[in-house]
Amino acid sequence: MKIVNLILVLCIGGFLIYGTLDMPGWGDPDSPASKHVSPRYIQKTIEETATPNMVTSILADYRGYDTMGETTVIFTAGMACILLLHGSIRKNRND
Amino acid sequence: MITPFNLIILIFVVICAITAITVKDLLSAVMILGAYSFFMCLMWTEMGAVDVAFTEASVSAGIGTILFIAAIIKTTRRSKD
Amino acid sequence: MIDFIIERYNFWIYIILMMIGLYAMITKRNLVKKVIGMNIFQTAIILFYISLASKRGGTLPILEHAHGEENLTVDVSNYINPLPHVLMLTAIVVMVATLGVALAILILIYRKYGTLEEDEILKKMQ
Repeated sequence: MKIVNLILVLCIGGFLIYGTLDMPGWGDPDSPASKHVSPRYIQKTIEETATPNMVTSILADYRGYDTMGETTVIFTAGMACILLLHGSIRKNRND
Repeated sequence: MITPFNLIILIFVVICAITAITVKDLLSAVMILGAYSFFMCLMWTEMGAVDVAFTEASVSAGIGTILFIAAIIKTTRRSKD
Repeated sequence: MIDFIIERYNFWIYIILMMIGLYAMITKRNLVKKVIGMNIFQTAIILFYISLASKRGGTLPILEHAHGEENLTVDVSNYINPLPHVLMLTAIVVMVATLGVALAILILIYRKYGTLEEDEILKKMQ
């Protein structure tokens, strides 16, 4: 069974390595990932948000709704942990 | 973007990952996972992502390791594989 | 040929890390080992996205001496792409949230069955 799993994992890795052959190289300034929206963020950050740190200005200003969704995820996870652990303690005491 | 430094840290990261999944004691595995997170943090600093690096050092290597240790104290540290 | 390898060897090492995590998630019987494998898998994917952001000859995405200046002309090719950093910052925090819920479920499993091995749990369930 372990051999089957190992062959499966190696197949997936082989396909992914085949996929990297067409990718732009590491550190290529003309790669598609750094051509589309991020030049506007880099150029306008001091004019529109007055923050020198671009990561902060994108995190809290341009993509603020994204960060709000992230806080919702953390709240849900904390709530789930409290309900799971505390609920079972109370049930054990009643038994 | 310094290539030999990057290669050395990547090799350390792979060694830490293989050790963390093969060691039999769970507490040791979790400690090695913490070391793995710190190597990862060093690598992100070297790539220029400083904000991601200190988030990783505080959140994943700090709180993640503490959560793992709390879970192992409440359960058991022996494992068969 | 050697340039081709130098530009891509780090992608291959990230894929090796991802394969280690996937193998641990599939094969290991202990549940804590499965969670450790999930952690390694997520970190490898975050590493891949961060490496897409780097530019040759770029510095950190922080402007120097920029306070109070209105019309500052910024050359885009001097700074690393900051957008993947922001998205992966979110992904790291979500990673720790999933880790917390997984460990809480694991503690519940130990309270009910008294073990963390997958085959012993399956034997006790029948």
